[in-house]
Amino acid sequence: MCAQNQNTEIAPQKNVVENPKAKSGKANVPSVKVGLALLIPGALALAYAIIANSTTLAFIGLSLTFWGVLFFFFIKPARYVASSILASTALSEYLTTDRMLRHLQINGKAYYIPPYPKDVYLPQHLKGLKESVVFISASTSGMPSIEELAKSKFLLENPNGICVAPPGLGLLEQLEKELKRDITKLQLTELLEILPPLLTENLQLAKKVEIKQEDNGFYLKMVGSPYRNLYITEELKSIHYLGCPLASAIACAIAKASGKTVTLQKDNIVPDGETVELWYQLVES
Amino acid sequence: MNFPMTLSDISLWLAVMAIILLITTEIISSITEPQIMIEKKRLRVVALALGIAFMATVVMRIFQPF
Repeated sequence: MCAQNQNTEIAPQKNVVENPKAKSGKANVPSVKVGLALLIPGALALAYAIIANSTTLAFIGLSLTFWGVLFFFFIKPARYVASSILASTALSEYLTTDRMLRHLQINGKAYYIPPYPKDVYLPQHLKGLKESVVFISASTSGMPSIEELAKSKFLLENPNGICVAPPGLGLLEQLEKELKRDITKLQLTELLEILPPLLTENLQLAKKVEIKQEDNGFYLKMVGSPYRNLYITEELKSIHYLGCPLASAIACAIAKASGKTVTLQKDNIVPDGETVELWYQLVES
Repeated sequence: MNFPMTLSDISLWLAVMAIILLITTEIISSITEPQIMIEKKRLRVVALALGIAFMATVVMRIFQPF
């Protein structure tokens, strides 16, 4: 019941682009219709140009055929899903984390632990160190040891807390795929330069992303993120610990590039409803 | 029944098409909030392929003037 109430609070957003294939068949995709409308007369004109030996008609036919093929096969609309659906799918993960935090009475902080680079050799018993994880401490008692983290356990005892996969882990992998590089190999300054255009232009996950390095921390400003409504969803606590998937992916990326543990200090929702501000802190571990 | 275009005609056609497509991809890429949802990468690939094809015809012209 509670979950349903929270679900309804994520309002549909304006920048909705529907997947054309999801609704109907291939013929209803606008570019396919345009493609056919160009391809058929183009092919006819080309055939007639060969018969009549007309250069002008051949130019017209070739152009029409080319644009027809282009629209029909190559530049189909990209597959998009509604941005409100993105936030809705992320909601269940946060609700589950909330339940765990409540049940285990965890009130500490979330620490994004930097993983070891993928290509570095580690013995079998330390393989767990290559995973990106978030440690949520039960209290502000400190960080777990490397041996504890290497065991890939969920419940940690010294100090008390839980280790979970970051909500932005999938997004981080997508970022690395776009970059075609392992983020651990990047310099921090390089990462801060690359990330904003990657998120806004390539992945189109926000209208504007600004990341600034501050004293022993970072300031992140996201405008028009599809996950912004998660921050205003009532009673959702874990979002303030972990950040939304986008903020979480950025935290993971910073942890990976700097090799230091990153924690989310605070977040702020600007009253315009579009902008989310977050402050991260680097923790020496 | 011969194809009525010479290599020179095809070269001209390729140049014009490559320019149109390259300008289109550049304009689409510069729009921060695009209204045209198309696969930009593929469009760019096609534009570059046409450009290369045009260059190939130019090279052919150097070695085999027509």
